[in-house]
Amino acid sequence: MADKLVGQNYIPVDLVAKVTGKARYAEDFRADGMLFTKLLVSPMPHARVRNIDMSAALAMPGVKAIITADDLPMLPNNAERALTNEPLYVGEPILAVAAVDELTAAEAIERILVDLEPLPFVVDPLQSLRPGGNNPRTNGNAWGAPPPNTPPGTPAPLETMKWTEQDFNDEDAGHLPMGKALEEWAFGDLEAGFTNAALVLDETFTVQSTGHHPMETRSAMAYWQNGKLYIHASTQSVAQTQPAIARWCGLEPSQVVLICEYTGGGFGSKGGGAVSMSIPAILSKKANAPVMMRISREEESFIGRARTNMSGRARIGFAKDGRITALDLFIVQDTGAYGPLGDHRSAGLAASLIYQPPAMRWRAVNMMTNTPPRTQQRSPGPMQANGIIEPVMSKAARQLGIDQVEIRSINSPSGKALFGPAGPTGQRPHITSAFIKEALARGAEQFNWPMRKARSGQRKGSKIRGVGVTVGPHGAGSIGWDSLMTIRPDGKLYVQSGVGNLGTHSLIDLARVAADELAMPWQKVEVIWGDTSKGLPWTCLSVGSQTTHAMTRANHAGANDAKRKLQEIAARDLGGSPDDYELGNERVYRRGAPGRGLTYAQAATRAIELGGKYDGHELPMDINPMTRGSATRLAGLGLMGVAKDNYPRDGVTYSFVIGFAEVEVDVETGHVTLVDYLGVGDVGTVVNPRSLLAQIKGGSCLGIAHALFQKSVVDPKYGHSLARRFHYSKPLTILDIPATMNASALDMADPETPVGARGVGEPPVGAGYGSVMNAISDALGDDIFRRAPVTADLILMSLEHGRPMHDPLRAHV
Amino acid sequence: MSVSRRNFIKGVIAGGAVASSGAYLFRGNAPLFGQTSAPGSVERLITLRINGQARRVDVMKQETLAMTLRYKLGLTGTKLGCDRAECGACTVLVDDVPHYSCSVLTHTIRGRSVVTIEGLASPDGTLHPVQQAVVDEQGFQCAFCMPGFVMAAVGFFKTEPNPTREQLAHGISGNLCRCQDYDKILTSLMRGGEYLRNA
Amino acid sequence: MAVIRDVMPAFELFQPASVSDAQALLKRYGGEAWLLAGGLDSFDWLKDRIKRPAAVIDLSGIADLKGIKPWGDGGLEIGAMTTLTEIVRHPVVRERYSILLEAAESAASPQIRNQGTVGGNVTQDTRCWYYRAGWSCYRAGGNICYADTPQAINREHAILEADRCVAVNPSDTAPALIALDAQMVIRTGAGEQVIAAEDYFVGPGTDITRMTVLKPGSLLTSIRIPGTWAASAEGSGGAGRVQFYFEKIRDRNVWDFALVSVASAMATTGTTIDRIRLVVNGVAARPLRLAAVEDLVRGKPRNEATAVIAGNLAIEGAQPLTFNGYKVPLMRNLVKRAIRGVEDVDWTS
Repeated sequence: MADKLVGQNYIPVDLVAKVTGKARYAEDFRADGMLFTKLLVSPMPHARVRNIDMSAALAMPGVKAIITADDLPMLPNNAERALTNEPLYVGEPILAVAAVDELTAAEAIERILVDLEPLPFVVDPLQSLRPGGNNPRTNGNAWGAPPPNTPPGTPAPLETMKWTEQDFNDEDAGHLPMGKALEEWAFGDLEAGFTNAALVLDETFTVQSTGHHPMETRSAMAYWQNGKLYIHASTQSVAQTQPAIARWCGLEPSQVVLICEYTGGGFGSKGGGAVSMSIPAILSKKANAPVMMRISREEESFIGRARTNMSGRARIGFAKDGRITALDLFIVQDTGAYGPLGDHRSAGLAASLIYQPPAMRWRAVNMMTNTPPRTQQRSPGPMQANGIIEPVMSKAARQLGIDQVEIRSINSPSGKALFGPAGPTGQRPHITSAFIKEALARGAEQFNWPMRKARSGQRKGSKIRGVGVTVGPHGAGSIGWDSLMTIRPDGKLYVQSGVGNLGTHSLIDLARVAADELAMPWQKVEVIWGDTSKGLPWTCLSVGSQTTHAMTRANHAGANDAKRKLQEIAARDLGGSPDDYELGNERVYRRGAPGRGLTYAQAATRAIELGGKYDGHELPMDINPMTRGSATRLAGLGLMGVAKDNYPRDGVTYSFVIGFAEVEVDVETGHVTLVDYLGVGDVGTVVNPRSLLAQIKGGSCLGIAHALFQKSVVDPKYGHSLARRFHYSKPLTILDIPATMNASALDMADPETPVGARGVGEPPVGAGYGSVMNAISDALGDDIFRRAPVTADLILMSLEHGRPMHDPLRAHV
Repeated sequence: MSVSRRNFIKGVIAGGAVASSGAYLFRGNAPLFGQTSAPGSVERLITLRINGQARRVDVMKQETLAMTLRYKLGLTGTKLGCDRAECGACTVLVDDVPHYSCSVLTHTIRGRSVVTIEGLASPDGTLHPVQQAVVDEQGFQCAFCMPGFVMAAVGFFKTEPNPTREQLAHGISGNLCRCQDYDKILTSLMRGGEYLRNA
Repeated sequence: MAVIRDVMPAFELFQPASVSDAQALLKRYGGEAWLLAGGLDSFDWLKDRIKRPAAVIDLSGIADLKGIKPWGDGGLEIGAMTTLTEIVRHPVVRERYSILLEAAESAASPQIRNQGTVGGNVTQDTRCWYYRAGWSCYRAGGNICYADTPQAINREHAILEADRCVAVNPSDTAPALIALDAQMVIRTGAGEQVIAAEDYFVGPGTDITRMTVLKPGSLLTSIRIPGTWAASAEGSGGAGRVQFYFEKIRDRNVWDFALVSVASAMATTGTTIDRIRLVVNGVAARPLRLAAVEDLVRGKPRNEATAVIAGNLAIEGAQPLTFNGYKVPLMRNLVKRAIRGVEDVDWTS
């Protein structure tokens, strides 16, 4: 048998379409009689629509329909809808006009009179917490914790939280005020930890918000045919987005056909699609014509989601040897106009995992503001935890005289390490595996850490070098999803993939696991994806680094279901028991007698003749209704492998990437140059080496941009976003990193999943973010910056005045 | 007063293939928005040379090349990432020079030769060397930026066929990628330069 | 009127073949005319629907406005519609006016330099994000500056010469051209006018709605660079060795405008500064030639001590806003560097 496919590079089947321009993304589709829509968005950060006069617009030739929030179905728990009558941020869509072309739609919008009643607003969470501070909504300013003992998914209650003047006493010293928290957990003896510490540091840091800004905005085109909605849209997760669109449009999932073969990036902002998809859908129904909604880059900065910004205060005790004795973390999070999920909880859990404090308390307030909505962005929470805590770790190492790699190694988790607070059973949860110490050691060697460390802090001319290292963690895999595949009479394996096509190739990698299990040559494998009418299994959201882990498991199970069916058919036709048969050379044959068997093509034909479970007419009881529907549609096409991932897993799956960075800071200009970077992955078995390293480098670059200049900016007086497009929000360019970046991976299998693979997408973000900031502080010394991005203005002002001169607590600057 | 009408292509228009003025974008009722022509202003019906073919097309005065390509000529390989010259996804070659097609008025390129991502491969499907290198090195991820990067690189190689890695990075620095493994992009495009030199 | 962005309004488009035809169109449409050079500044205004000219006059068909040719005694005349890339690739610019090459090459991105013109680069509008968002500020004809409130976010704004408006000039080539003592050739309704580059730019105290002296009906046709400041080795031309310094500090190495930039042309004999022209940009609504600093350092040795006093004098009178205090040390340090240069460092040893 040939070598396994898992672990080898390959050329993904979709690359030629992409490189020739034939790959069609949402805005590349056309339909006869297609109309165009433009959005009227709120000019105010918080207001109520009193009246809309659209008579002049409707009277224009070429204007076909207008919808407002009143045309959209209400959603449970007052969840965000695509249009609103109470805008909560500047740029929130109020209505949509469909017209024969964009120029007409734009001219129509200029003729619409929207009477808005201005309401109080706030763009900074701390301002809302002040006594007498404005609330972002008429009925509250914060999300509370879901009531105890409620099922997952229970909505968080809306609260009004105000702190006292005394709570703000620390503010002038640059410390985050810590009033009453709305959520809290703890483990271990915090006080003893601090009492026994040789060094206690108490530091405040503000992590900025940034727009996700995938290259492809959330444009969508929709039309109706025979009572069904057909929608071309951009999503990270095809299978999961179909029911979401149905919910947003008041339909049954079976009434929605979603086509999305190519997605131009998402980074969490298109996790389960985007609520704005309902605009062309509903408008198309009203106008009785296809509707194209092209979302501009500026509109993407409004509705396209952003990372939650948070200010954190970390009080950490260290023993003389650098071991952490106690960690007290307080987070004020800004989740924007909607929510309630936020990143504060995952930040707390990540901190407890990567720094392994024996005692820890986590407290948080999850605030709303009248700023664009946030959602999970690549490494949501762990990246912010790295931002808040890494400066403290670096400072402690310098003060205690401990090497930066060493202090992270001795505090890092290994094996089935515990993290977080105790659950209802009294047990603290644990992870499936971690090999961080190995990754740190390997990285230090590859990066030539001792040589670089020796010159860290040295000045030549106006330039100072610095090195930094950070362990970026993130949850890396869910379980329990479904797999669906068929071996057909043409002898090929058809693997149905409900994963979105973000170009990470996890959508195709999962089929390679199935091919390996079935000993199927790769050229005989077809992957079917991107169209819900083609029969997709119930698949995880392609977010949070879970796809590779989740769907290699599921496809391992589905392929083994197919394998068992091949064996059973062979035994039925050729005698013996199923276990007497093995797979190879596209045949199922009697062990020791390769001539005695069936080709896959013959077995597929036999499966159809036999029917029942063999060709999908009888299905397992435990699969999801979506998988059941898809399998029923494919029934009779061949031998079907269909299964839910029921493999056991002891622990919660996390992955880790270590970032090593060297920077050069020009102290006369404040400009930081990233000189060299290495990312090392502890991410389980390597499934697709080239894609894996791309994830490590690409994710690191997102973190590097956060360290150096990427940001969101909101004027507090007027509540307007100022950094609306790329030019002002400053995503990374190719000249902001060295011409060569390095990455590697341990390739050590996770013991709790059959393929051994964990996810990789998120962990490098915190690694890049923390390591670059640590390198800057190693070059310049402590207390130069207390917020990110660390731009020339922060550096020059601190160097000029000998202390941090910027307000560390103000959001969105 | 003389108004330039540069080099109208006098080629035969295949099958009367005038791109419809009723096509997709900007098909609004012309008289409504001042689309009648003032004396001396440009003619709307023009001929463009796109990927080696003469294409007759009805172009609004304010129409950008990206819109003409995408909505009048069906060439959707040219992507719009920002529409503001801030990302490079819409890069095409105009007389061999990389331009942001979102920021070029179609009327200003009459008589000039435009090459888009669709114009690189041979008619038999053989990929351009730079395209082949991107496939071989798996250069991009979501690939929404890919056509722009490839066009920028193809244009850059025409002036600097044998660049260093740093020089090529500068040459393609007007293109943004948000998946951001610029390292692999650069590796694949360096390979493209190598293929071109050996072609 | 509800605001809608990213759809260009309809306009008439003219493509004149000569400057006089362009002038006739300017006269015909008056304040309703919009001159289009490379378009990279224009399209933002048009796509945002903030500017709505009746007629756009595309200058790209006017051959007289393009190209680089010898001028005067060893100088160059650069047509206003010459692209930044053409300037970067021009052998004489490279050999004699490398400061202009560096400045042009630091602008924006390769594609923008392929299309953007030197005339557009020096004539472009400010990028103050309040003004560019279409807010009715002083510069837009209103009676408030949104960037100069206690809470406003003004990291990129002016520290000098603010007068109601605190916007800065974004041009990269402007400081280099002023350092080279370039002259701007302007065609007005009354004929041709030639002015010094430093007088081409205006601050809000002169005219709060304009960045340059250009009035409606006028256009920049070319830029003349005299031979006086061509780079030379000591002894050639008898007036000492001419050297340049250009540096642009920005956040990202592509696309970004300068936080602060500096350009200098300096003639030295031995270590003594004989002549100097020194300009900074990004600190005021116009590029500032630092004549007082020039006077101070002329005749002094080119060393750290001279650089320090030059830097300190340069920032006299600077008045930072809430978020742009860093521009004071940045400007000071860049002036220092322009005088004494920057040491190349090698970390391999």
